[in-house]
Amino acid sequence: MPSYSLYMGCSVPANYPNYETTLFRVAEKFDIELNYMEGVSCCGSPNLRAIDYMGWLIVNARTLAIAEKNGHDIVTPCNGCFGTLKDVYHFLTHNADYRNKVNVELKKTGLEFKGTIKPRHFIEALYNDIGIDEIKKKITKPLDGVGIAIHYGCHLLRPKDVTEFKPEIFEDLIRVTGASVIEYPLWKQCCGATVLPVNEDLAIRLARDKLKSMKEAGAVFVTVSCPACGNQLDLQQLGLKESYGEEYNLPVLFITQILGLAMGMGDDEVGLEMNRVPADPILKHLSG
Amino acid sequence: MTETEGKADPPAVMIEPIDISKLDPNFREGIRSMPNGEELSACFACSTCTAACPIANTWKYKPHQLIRMILLGMREEVLSSEEIWLCLTCFECQERCPQNVRVTDIFFDCKNLAAEEGMIPDSIVGLAKELVDKGQLYVVTADWEREDMDLEPEVPGLSTEEFKAILKGTRTGRIVGGDE
Repeated sequence: MPSYSLYMGCSVPANYPNYETTLFRVAEKFDIELNYMEGVSCCGSPNLRAIDYMGWLIVNARTLAIAEKNGHDIVTPCNGCFGTLKDVYHFLTHNADYRNKVNVELKKTGLEFKGTIKPRHFIEALYNDIGIDEIKKKITKPLDGVGIAIHYGCHLLRPKDVTEFKPEIFEDLIRVTGASVIEYPLWKQCCGATVLPVNEDLAIRLARDKLKSMKEAGAVFVTVSCPACGNQLDLQQLGLKESYGEEYNLPVLFITQILGLAMGMGDDEVGLEMNRVPADPILKHLSG
Repeated sequence: MTETEGKADPPAVMIEPIDISKLDPNFREGIRSMPNGEELSACFACSTCTAACPIANTWKYKPHQLIRMILLGMREEVLSSEEIWLCLTCFECQERCPQNVRVTDIFFDCKNLAAEEGMIPDSIVGLAKELVDKGQLYVVTADWEREDMDLEPEVPGLSTEEFKAILKGTRTGRIVGGDE
């Protein structure tokens, strides 16, 4: 039974309990043990990195150091936390000067960053440690023929040398449910969430580019592995009705919600009513 | 298009002239010594970063120009530019750079320098305050939603005290404190 230190971050528990609960429900199917990390908080987001690089390094090295004590790899369901932890891990394992500086601070509370455990996205752990064959055995309600567009998210994919994430992981996890992966031109592009605090119009334009590209390629709904991307693509569809007079009607589901549905969980168990764009197309398919 | 007779108008100014006396020759080395700034001077201005950027078309200074401005020593213009704060941090530019210049990381370095000099957009100062006051960006408000989903109303293991204490002692604390 694989066991991990679970780093939730702040956005999933505050905004998306449906993502959090389906994370556990999917993990349970494979006897994966997820233990909430003790004594941790937010990763600070790219905003903290922008204004206070040292503070950003210390808080995240602290999280990594706590997980090292526990001895299990960290998994997180959030691309933002994943990108941050991977970046800090990569930087500190390649830069002894900064590692020493950070450890001087961590030592004050009896911690040390050694770089002995790796931060991972939950879906990568599921894919590599459980494997597609095992996942396939649990699919009882295949999503045959449903066209799903994957929004991977910037901080899952890039910088590639830092995140070490292969896009095929996400694609295989969707294909194993029987759904088809819709290829669309802007698959690598940003959802716009990060620029929301400084320029809302620009953020809306980016969400629109993305949704338009997916819709035109024939997507019935969208899947994400990040609360910020999920929020942006789901919520902005309401805004786009007002600002551009356009309706996309593309339900945005977290990957664990999709896996849950394909494993036979009910719409209430995966918390579909919390998704703002109604998930009717997928429900219709499952009941049909 | 018809040819005009007589004297042509003076050519339109493509770029503002650069005032050499205002350049900071140390700026480039300053950035090169910051995290992931090492490859800065490998830039050969091919502008692949700009082609990769999904929003450069809205920028006065494009990513490749900002890199060139750093190399020239245009410290004031770079650190006061709004572009560095509009950067999506999507890493498309950095990923595609044929010279391995870590463009997005370098913009993070620029933001850190700007922050040290107090040049931070108000909205970001607001986020810094949230981080120091609450110890996280998002706080659980609808705990009944969590209970509906069979989760603990409070996030297990969450502790914000250490996070707040660390940031009070670093630049975030100075940014927030200095503003009050």
